[in-house]
Amino acid sequence: MAFPAKYPSLNDTALTEEARSTLIRVIRVAFPHDSFPDGPYERTADTILKAAEESTWFRVSLTQGLLTLAHLAGGDFRQLDEDAATSVLRRIETTEFFGFIRRTTVLNLYDDPEVWDAVGYEGPSVDKGGYIDRGFNDLDWLPDPRIETYTGEPIVEIARSVPLAPPHAATHGGGQSAASTSADTSTQPGATDARQGQLQHSEATK
Amino acid sequence: MTRHGKPIEQDHETVVIIGSGAGGGTLAYELTAKGIPCVVLEAGPYLTNDDYTNNEWEAFNQMAWLDPRTTSGSWRIARDFPNLPTWIVKAVGGTTTHWSGATPRFKAHEFAIRSTYGRLEGANLLDWPITLAELEPFYDRAEIAMGSTHVHGRKPLPANNNYKVFANGAERVGYKHYSTGPYATNAEEYDGRPASIQDGFNFQGDKNKSKWSTLVREIPRALATGLLDLRADSHVVQITHDQTGRVDAVLYLDENGDLHRQAAALVCVAGNSIETPRLLLQSASPMFPDGLANSSGQVGRNYMRHMTGSVYAQFENPVRMYRGETMAGVIADESRHDPDRGFAGGYYLETISLGPAFLASFAEPGSWGREFTKIIDGYLRTAGLWIVGEDLPQESNRITLNPSVTDKNGLPVPNVHVDDHPNDIAMRSHGYKQAELLYDAVGSVSSHRTPPYPSTHNLGTARMSDKAEDGVVDRWGRSHDVPNLFVSDGSVFTSSAAANPTLTIVALAIRQAEYIADQLAHDGI
Repeated sequence: MAFPAKYPSLNDTALTEEARSTLIRVIRVAFPHDSFPDGPYERTADTILKAAEESTWFRVSLTQGLLTLAHLAGGDFRQLDEDAATSVLRRIETTEFFGFIRRTTVLNLYDDPEVWDAVGYEGPSVDKGGYIDRGFNDLDWLPDPRIETYTGEPIVEIARSVPLAPPHAATHGGGQSAASTSADTSTQPGATDARQGQLQHSEATK
Repeated sequence: MTRHGKPIEQDHETVVIIGSGAGGGTLAYELTAKGIPCVVLEAGPYLTNDDYTNNEWEAFNQMAWLDPRTTSGSWRIARDFPNLPTWIVKAVGGTTTHWSGATPRFKAHEFAIRSTYGRLEGANLLDWPITLAELEPFYDRAEIAMGSTHVHGRKPLPANNNYKVFANGAERVGYKHYSTGPYATNAEEYDGRPASIQDGFNFQGDKNKSKWSTLVREIPRALATGLLDLRADSHVVQITHDQTGRVDAVLYLDENGDLHRQAAALVCVAGNSIETPRLLLQSASPMFPDGLANSSGQVGRNYMRHMTGSVYAQFENPVRMYRGETMAGVIADESRHDPDRGFAGGYYLETISLGPAFLASFAEPGSWGREFTKIIDGYLRTAGLWIVGEDLPQESNRITLNPSVTDKNGLPVPNVHVDDHPNDIAMRSHGYKQAELLYDAVGSVSSHRTPPYPSTHNLGTARMSDKAEDGVVDRWGRSHDVPNLFVSDGSVFTSSAAANPTLTIVALAIRQAEYIADQLAHDGI
């Protein structure tokens, strides 16, 4: 099998700086957050590139994907606006190439203190004494609710509409009305067995 | 393997408990407290509260059971998390070290669903051989041991931000039975452990020791008796038996893959509802060709994982749901059985919070683009709840050995097959609607229906029945087929009920310990 000239050896699929910046753009288009700085996206791209070093399957998929994205983009993927770039990604979302990027991004992009800052999450708390004195209950746009157990009527454990069978004896209608079988949606035209049975019966009694 | 406590000779026939979580850890404490020496074999490492970390993925990789598994069936987990059917812990203390802490009891009729619900097509319903009345004294003991709030004089947890949204919504849609508990997390100092500092991170291990686990209570107390030999990093691969059909030893691997043998007078299996049936199936022999204790054919079947789902709603104003206890709110109004809603059984609504890392992974697996990122962009203004209800046992929902995939030790991995029952789907749909109504009532601007997470409640694969033909264990958790073999975890559940299962697992283990001690004292084993 002959390899294209751009692969001097099979394992030499080291990605160019252009490929890295295309990857960063793919991640930002797939997971667009206007409030996120570039750092988390760049770090996620580097995590993906590192993961690619450790998996041949990942590496060949990623390399081929980034090299051929320009084909679908009709030029440089990085130059497309978000809508156009999203359309390109929608067309390849079932590929292993995109799947690798999506999975790795979801697992890493949001595990980043800069992202936490951007969305208003404060990260580790125990070293700061928890939130007991730092606003665990500072929501002030609703009234303070009851926290104790309700002391009125106890819960009705079995609805009064359920006819109770003698203890542990027989079945009853209640269960049958639940989603035990698929609903009867039959609108079968023409004679049914039951109707035929009835007709036969009425003819017999004439 | 790392050993703690007083060594017991490997050729000494002793009580061997497999697993150190809610079932195994409780049993170890109750038996050693009665003067009965035990060996506990725990597959995971001995992590302590100081080892835990306030970071979602770091903690997950530290604590979670990550051994490979496979999945099949129509459940969405098989598509989104094909090798992660469960979200449980592999460490001393088991899944009690990352649980949320909710401790509702079962209702009386939930021990008798065949009689109460009738015959439901496709489900394998069976009444438990025990009643609520029989378990009530042990529920009391379990609640006192675990320090459940709201009962036995324990103070309720205070309202955190997520609860304020949840409870106000509950009140406005007409729910009555809402409160901040019961939860086995200290609202005030209790049992030698401090009050919660509202640090969150329940799922990452509680560094503050305010939340009950067998790691902070039962294991250290069992070690203090001088009668426990706790071996961590010890993964049991087979239970062996003699020519009379009694179990006589267990074989287990240490972290280097070296095999060890511990002689046994009695074996209690508490490996959670995937590993327990896996071990029984791996212990098949010419005498027990379908697996140990499996003359009924029910080992591995009737796997239940609760009907679950979550709703995350966004508001105009900040919520900061992550501040404070991850779960500290329960609504019980929908836990009743009322078939007029279109399904049998009931469910609870409970507060839940995930950090951005977990929310991104679990809120809508596979999703991307603006539809997805708006879920994260509104994080600060988001409130969340979990829907947890009864799911129905089905024979075809089962754990089997998958001989075409092996783990690092060359053992066949368990395959978890699940199809949702129409009843589960109808209940989940109802729960989603009610949760949305609740959040709408307090002004939500949007809400998102999150599918079930990898299963945290794993039940029913060695079910309890008075009859050997349709159950694996009897009313005490004792195998019908093998007189000195017990199952001591949620695998024995005949049905799942709506309640979070840990309290019931602990109550059953306390009860089983009384029985085992009595039988040992009277030559009944």
